[in-house]
Amino acid sequence: MTAPLTPEQADRLAVSWRDAPGLWGFLTTVDHKRIAARYILTVVLLMFLAGMLALDMRLQLAWPDMGRMTPQLYNESFSLHGSTMLFLVSVPVMEAMAIWLVPLMLGQRALAFPRLAAFSYWLYLGGVLMLWVPHAVGITPDLGWFEYPPLSGPGYAPGHRADIWAQMITFTEVAALAASVNVVATVLKMRPPGMTLARIPVFVWSQAIAGLMTIFSLPAVMLVTSMLIADRLVSTQFFAPAAGGDPILFQHLFWWFGHPEVYIIFLPAAGFVSMIVETFSRRTLFGHVAVVLSMLGIAALAFGLWVHHMFAVGLPRLGNDFYTAASMAVALPAGLQIFCWIATLWSGRPRFDTPLLWVLGFIATFVIGGLSGVMAASAPLDQQITDTYFIVAHFHYVLIGGAILPLLGAFCYWYPKATGRLMSERLGKLAFWLIVGGFNLGFFPMHLLGLMGMPRRVYTYSEGMGWGPLNLVATLGSAIAVAGGLVFVANAWWSRRHGALAGPDPWGGSTLEWAVPSPPPQHNFDHLPVVDSLTPLWTQKEALQVMTGLAVERREVLVTSVIEATPEYRQKSPKPSIAPLFSALAVTILFIGSIFTPWALVWGAVPLAAALIAWFWPQRERATTGPLAVRR
Amino acid sequence: MPQTAPNGAQDSRAAAYERNLYQVAQGGRYFTWYGCGSCHGRSAKGPLNLGDRVWVHGGALDQVYGFIAERHPGATAGYAARIPAEQLWQITAYVRNLPRLTPEKRRRQDLDQVGEPQGSNWTGPVR
Repeated sequence: MTAPLTPEQADRLAVSWRDAPGLWGFLTTVDHKRIAARYILTVVLLMFLAGMLALDMRLQLAWPDMGRMTPQLYNESFSLHGSTMLFLVSVPVMEAMAIWLVPLMLGQRALAFPRLAAFSYWLYLGGVLMLWVPHAVGITPDLGWFEYPPLSGPGYAPGHRADIWAQMITFTEVAALAASVNVVATVLKMRPPGMTLARIPVFVWSQAIAGLMTIFSLPAVMLVTSMLIADRLVSTQFFAPAAGGDPILFQHLFWWFGHPEVYIIFLPAAGFVSMIVETFSRRTLFGHVAVVLSMLGIAALAFGLWVHHMFAVGLPRLGNDFYTAASMAVALPAGLQIFCWIATLWSGRPRFDTPLLWVLGFIATFVIGGLSGVMAASAPLDQQITDTYFIVAHFHYVLIGGAILPLLGAFCYWYPKATGRLMSERLGKLAFWLIVGGFNLGFFPMHLLGLMGMPRRVYTYSEGMGWGPLNLVATLGSAIAVAGGLVFVANAWWSRRHGALAGPDPWGGSTLEWAVPSPPPQHNFDHLPVVDSLTPLWTQKEALQVMTGLAVERREVLVTSVIEATPEYRQKSPKPSIAPLFSALAVTILFIGSIFTPWALVWGAVPLAAALIAWFWPQRERATTGPLAVRR
Repeated sequence: MPQTAPNGAQDSRAAAYERNLYQVAQGGRYFTWYGCGSCHGRSAKGPLNLGDRVWVHGGALDQVYGFIAERHPGATAGYAARIPAEQLWQITAYVRNLPRLTPEKRRRQDLDQVGEPQGSNWTGPVR
């Protein structure tokens, strides 16, 4: 740094950004790193719980005619597994990585809306409890991870199981929207001077694009689950064909969200891969522009292929043809990215540490998932394989292969930045081989089972079907992968105390987060860095250029222009506050109440309004001069 | 699974049916399948209306069950010969729950189930 802070200035800065100690600090913090860490720990716990459900189901399917689970318990298990993994794990963990990394990669001290990030986590936690507390008392949703009416309508789903599922979605989607708006605003308006659009790191691009996709797609699912609740609670007729409603409307709106969601999960993973490949190949990413444009292409196409989830519904032929073509077209930008990563590795000097191993595992696994995806995208073939284990195999290959493996790589890659210590390479490699090997052993046979006709969501099958041996292999593979997951978590736990000290830049990374100490101080950067290339830490070897002028005695951030990132003004950054927690509690009361009575919307709005008014209460002094001066 | 009729208004098996919305909903489907809805549908008037809290033949558990099973004029000497005991428990639970259902809710549930067989167009096995 060119102009180090004096000790007095450094102390003052640390005081300005410090949280209150103890429980009060825990409840009021708006620090993006603490909030993201909460998200990630919650996700790890949920992954364990939902993973145990998966293992339980695999044990039930290991042999024909098993009776250890009843059909009802099996229905509940796969519904809870799918809903948790899609709504409470995959999407939130990608947002958490954005909340943690985006300000650091942009050289900023905070997100654009720090309190909104806190609100987002508390609301997400509400969604987690909304699903898992009822499960603990035996009211588990049992209609799969998408609950189609009329099965989920008032005529066929008595009780509150379906309501709990629908309202859990509302919780997590509001949380996701809050997080996405925050990330997009931060990326657009809070970049360091010099970071023009062309110099944004690929990971930040991926999160901005995923955030925009979230903003455009998630309202559809919130709308549709709210319509479902209205049908069930106040007898509206959205999905009742006998009264002019249409159950297919549910599927259209659900998949208008559901398909982009897959890419909302995948694009950040592609961002992880790009960063890891660049660092570990020790060269700039091959085809930066092509990779970013591919991401934009995927984002655009993602909104034009939801119907491939509905080929069996009986839509017009031309519709199926169009969506087959659009679905296959996604393979082009996705393939382009993969070739760029391979070219980077090919022309670089790759170093095969654990993060890169995960990327290689990702490439192999994701390509298989992509190929089975092209098969399933073909409407005539899909008519045969829809709702079979082929589909189960396909989406586990793309979701685990395409998102979870890069996520684990990203975890290894940024773990030293977050904790100051490196994870054990030996345990890391063991976990890698167990997870990737176990996963492929467990899920590849499901392609064959699907082609042999084994349907999804069956709790058992008879011996004469001949599905026993492959199912046993699948169960063995899943168990190995779960063991690998436990090794991974144990490694993270152990390394927190006993790992080798990392220093600020253990991997020789190129982006700004590696310029700050590990773990980063609460204000992240003493001075705002100034960027002159895509890889500032590689081009400014001696010392990072910085911009001075941000206050140390109060929380301040720099706002820059959208295209060129020229500094515009200093912006006050909000202090810790209890208002986000109270607002989230008020929303929670409203949401939970509204599955029992429509009046919850009316009376629940009162505490919510009070909490929001407290949150947004003006803090600036009234003017003493001019036309807006206080009248005495 | 009960094989016999309730042994009184306070039969201990009742809770498993009357306080379980799944069982009540199953009763509703049998109510339609066995054709009960053709006379006791939501537009039924007077004594045929089962949702008005007026029980001509008594509203206790054993009275409702007993009337459907033994004395209902729709079948010779009641429905016990045609409907298995557990289904009768479920239908009884549904019928006793009807007064708690608002007219809109009942209409909405019927709308969802309009494609179900309605007594006379039942195509499944008949005992």
